[in-house]
Amino acid sequence: MAQQHGIIVLFDVENALRTRSLAGNTYWFDNMKLFGSTGEGTEHLVTIVPGTHFMDGSQATEQVLNWLPAALGAIPPTVPRNYLAEQERADDRRTLDQLASLNADGGVSDTDLKRLQKRVGKRARKPAGGRGLTAAKLLDVTGKTTSSAGAYNYPAPVITDITGPAVTEKIMYPAQYGSPDMIYDGWYWAATVDTSRPGEYPYTMHVQLHELIEQNDEMIWESVDLTCESTLKITTDPKRNGFTGAGLGLLPLPAVPATG
Amino acid sequence: MKDRISIVVMVDAVGALSDRTLHNGNLSLVDDSSGSKHQGTPDLITTVIPGQVVQWTPIHIDVQTPVEIYSIEFLPGAPAAPPAGPSPAAPPPVDAMGSNGTENHDLLVWEGVVPYDMTPGVPYRYRLSLKLHEGPNSVLHVDSPALMRV
Repeated sequence: MAQQHGIIVLFDVENALRTRSLAGNTYWFDNMKLFGSTGEGTEHLVTIVPGTHFMDGSQATEQVLNWLPAALGAIPPTVPRNYLAEQERADDRRTLDQLASLNADGGVSDTDLKRLQKRVGKRARKPAGGRGLTAAKLLDVTGKTTSSAGAYNYPAPVITDITGPAVTEKIMYPAQYGSPDMIYDGWYWAATVDTSRPGEYPYTMHVQLHELIEQNDEMIWESVDLTCESTLKITTDPKRNGFTGAGLGLLPLPAVPATG
Repeated sequence: MKDRISIVVMVDAVGALSDRTLHNGNLSLVDDSSGSKHQGTPDLITTVIPGQVVQWTPIHIDVQTPVEIYSIEFLPGAPAAPPAGPSPAAPPPVDAMGSNGTENHDLLVWEGVVPYDMTPGVPYRYRLSLKLHEGPNSVLHVDSPALMRV
């Protein structure tokens, strides 16, 4: 049975936001090198889709693609998605506990106040009327409060669409599916492929990144929509019998079977 | 009599590759014939009737691991008398090359008709070789499963 294809798309989010382009900032990797994919680890991945058909021409193998986005420098995708939310809440609770336990009788020292103020941190809001990220406290990759613009953790890139010749020519049928796996926010993109028309078909991936900007004394996550490209290479070959190399025949049994 | 017997070959590819064996629970064979023995193990003995078509289908636990049947060879016993003349050469393995120059064992369909000259009551053991991804350690086999005519 043919395997499903995994395609990791790794984004250099920081660099992409700076240059406002995904060119040179994506790294594509799939698991089909053994069947002839090329360009693994580069932005010029050509994913092979080795189709098969029966003698009557009908498609014999269902080929499924799965895209797995990841970000350089972000929390590893295997960490539960609510990690930052949990850390945010725990951090607030600790700060409140410490505030409550301050001994006000002897006067509160400046050092204590400064430390607690730092712990309160900054919160990024979502843009007015905009969709996307909810307001959340700025945390670094370890889940600690940070006020340093260089240390906060970028939200994971979000695939928003897959288009291009491979889609318009009905070579693949991509869609976003709900998933019990919270690693990808409970959603993932997958596609089935029509392997009856061999050839190379490019496709465009639409990705939303998020940039932290300061606006009217507020921190805001502004969405930045960018695109990048990859290619599917479709082949198709006829199925044949494993014993005969052609059609159905007798099982090649020996005259005397092995004992034991 | 059923026209077709299906033998499903369930494989834990990652387990098999790290154990370097299809034993230790990394392989499970199940068929839909009545009277077969050792269902769910690598020692499956499938009961067959001449004229039936037997088909083997691999299924992998991890959907993104490539698992295909590499070959099925029935194991011969010692011949009663040395054959006269040159012994018949083993048939060449069937070519699994795809049109783009890479091997793809998904192209092969593993099925065949049970011959009428099969001796009843005797298990015909076969070597089931599976190919997990590619490379020097990618092909693993078991010699334990068998077909038996009832």
